[in-house]
Amino acid sequence: MNRAAERRPAGFQRFRTKLLLAMMLIICVLTSLGIYVAQRRATAEAQARLEHDFQIEIAALDRLQNLRQAAVADRSQALAQNARIHAALEDNALDLLYPSAEDELRDVMASGTTATLHARFYRFLDHRGAVLIPPREISAGRLRPNEQRRLSQNKLSRTMQTGYLARRDAAGNSTVDEMIALPIRSTETNEVIAALVLGFKPLEAVGRGSATGMQSGILVDGKLQLSGLEPAARVEVGREVERDLTQGEGKSHSLRRQINDRPCLLFWKRLNPHSNYPPAYEVCVYPLQQLLAHERRLRWKILGAGGLFLVGGFAISEFFAGRLSRPVEKLLVVSEKNLGERRRAEAKLRTTAEELQRSARFSADASHQLKSPITVLRAGLDGLLARDDFAPEVYEEISALVHQTYWLTGVIDDLLLLSRMDAGRLQLNLGTVDLTHLIEQWSDDLRALPETEDLKIESDIPAGLQIAGETDFTALVVQNLLDNARKYNRAGGVIRIQVRQKDEQVELHIANTGRGIPVEAQPYIFERFHRAGTDDVPGHGLGLNLARELMRLHGGELRLLRSNAQWTEFVAIFRAATTPARDRG
Amino acid sequence: MKCASLVAALALAPAAALAQGTLEGKVALPKSHFAPVMSEHYEIVSKGGILATNPPRAVVWLEGSFSKPSHLPTKQIAQKNFAFVPPLLAIEVGTKVDFPNLDDTYHNIFSYSPTKRFDLGRYPPGEKPPPTVLFDKPGLVTLRCDIHEHMRGLILVLDTPYFTITDAAGNFRLANLPAGRFTVKAWVNSRSTWEHRVDLKPAATLHVDLP
Repeated sequence: MNRAAERRPAGFQRFRTKLLLAMMLIICVLTSLGIYVAQRRATAEAQARLEHDFQIEIAALDRLQNLRQAAVADRSQALAQNARIHAALEDNALDLLYPSAEDELRDVMASGTTATLHARFYRFLDHRGAVLIPPREISAGRLRPNEQRRLSQNKLSRTMQTGYLARRDAAGNSTVDEMIALPIRSTETNEVIAALVLGFKPLEAVGRGSATGMQSGILVDGKLQLSGLEPAARVEVGREVERDLTQGEGKSHSLRRQINDRPCLLFWKRLNPHSNYPPAYEVCVYPLQQLLAHERRLRWKILGAGGLFLVGGFAISEFFAGRLSRPVEKLLVVSEKNLGERRRAEAKLRTTAEELQRSARFSADASHQLKSPITVLRAGLDGLLARDDFAPEVYEEISALVHQTYWLTGVIDDLLLLSRMDAGRLQLNLGTVDLTHLIEQWSDDLRALPETEDLKIESDIPAGLQIAGETDFTALVVQNLLDNARKYNRAGGVIRIQVRQKDEQVELHIANTGRGIPVEAQPYIFERFHRAGTDDVPGHGLGLNLARELMRLHGGELRLLRSNAQWTEFVAIFRAATTPARDRG
Repeated sequence: MKCASLVAALALAPAAALAQGTLEGKVALPKSHFAPVMSEHYEIVSKGGILATNPPRAVVWLEGSFSKPSHLPTKQIAQKNFAFVPPLLAIEVGTKVDFPNLDDTYHNIFSYSPTKRFDLGRYPPGEKPPPTVLFDKPGLVTLRCDIHEHMRGLILVLDTPYFTITDAAGNFRLANLPAGRFTVKAWVNSRSTWEHRVDLKPAATLHVDLP
């Protein structure tokens, strides 16, 4: 194992590095995605939390306001029921209106009352909506004439109206009062005959903005009353909200703006919807410095977590890359080993093939080299035969020599064919061969030979039998077998040729009379240059070997069926032609 | 001095009685929303800021300059069953009116009318002596109760001793009138007062329909 590790292939290291990089890339992408999403969510949540706070405070304010308005409405109801006020209004005694109401409203005006119900001023409006001026001695709250005019209504409303009055208080500080105008109805006609306007200190939600540094004020008549802000910032906030108001339709909105170059979140909400009085808005200013600092802290936290995650991811990637690449490493080592073995085997195979080729080429070359001198030799011998100045026995000698050259040529041809077969260079052009015709042709040739005139040839061949094979080589086999049957026959013997088709096979039986092949020699008759004690018969011991090799090349077989004192019988098994009918047609 | 004036008054009285005339007639009262039952009962209602009696009644008086009687009897408007009884009272200037409380609860009668502003304050049932107010200026006085907002009463203060309230049909009769040229007026509601010039002959009865 250690040695294997030491000898780690370079490819494996590359694979491992790539795997690690891919895993790191995925982790990096996931981490940055996570950081991005987490940060966006955190920011959105922080803003939503502020907006939620604002809405809650506004809702609390709404509830308080509703409570106050309900209380005030009760008061106005009582006032409208008050006989003296009615008398003052109905009996043309307006001078008695304020004195009559003074008692009734004394507790509301008293500074000791609950903060929410402590009115700063009150005024009556007559049936036309104009302000009735209180007599000097009545303490209905001080208002400057221009402030007082702002209380009037063009037409008395039948419902309670809320408005906001920006003014200067006795000390000269700008302040805002919430005005609640309550209709006073005649008990007799139920018509609105007057209205009472009460001025309160605007409500403030309890504990608002304590932690966030939020400041709130009221925007009315284009002026923002927000004591916590410096005047320039106040003007800027007012302008921003006014601009937003002109753009949006809604009753409330939030916006993010730079105020005095500091980021702020502004919220506004209409305080007096459906009112005859000019619209007023509750405006909240959240300085975002705290939030941004929080965001920064959060960002660092998230980045830190991301970094830790990355480091962890790196360690895990490293671990898993190692784990995952181990089988690959093993596989690599094994395949390396296998590759070596294969290479060695291939080299061996190549050497063998080369040797085989070389030997086959040698046979072929030798055959060619031999054939040329034989041809020259035969030509020379033929030349000698043509002369007429030799003794007759010399001619016989020369004839024998010529015969020997033919025999040599036959051996060389056979050797050449065998060597081509050994080298695997023999290409068979398989086709359909008319076996019947071929045998008949060769048996006719056999009969024509002078040596066979005392031989009897019996043939039993079905007509038009087709086999798959190459004509020349099939002919060579048939010729070889028939030649053997002639050569090894006895005088006046028989050659029997039978052809049988069995399914896909065609069997050619060639039997001859004569002395048989000795039993001990029978296993070797198909070997090259084997001639079992038949030196009296012409031959070179290659024919049967060649015939069997050719038969096997054709997908067939050649066997010795029997050989005894009477008969020697060979069988050649051919493959029948697949579509004999068509070929014959 | 006092005695002399008293004697003079007594001496004049038969002469005036001798010259007495009578004025009678009918005031065309607005249609009532109630069935025309001739009832003695009526109340004060306000409609569109106009105060009137319902069913309608009118106050008819003779306007002129008459000598002031030295003493006028004290009249009375009681509070009974959370209403003024009578709801409409016509008096001569200088008359005192008592406001006895005949209910079982407090009342606080007051008036913001320019004719007479007064506030009797809260007083319990059956307070003795009952609160009294002197009406020294002619005009209409709306009576209210600070505690019971719905209560309404009217006092028509007249600068004449000759006045009366019509019946439910609008008929009136003023007797023992001095002869001479006068104006007869009929108050129908707080906004409408009709008038008619009359020339009263001694010991004659004049018929006047208003308007």
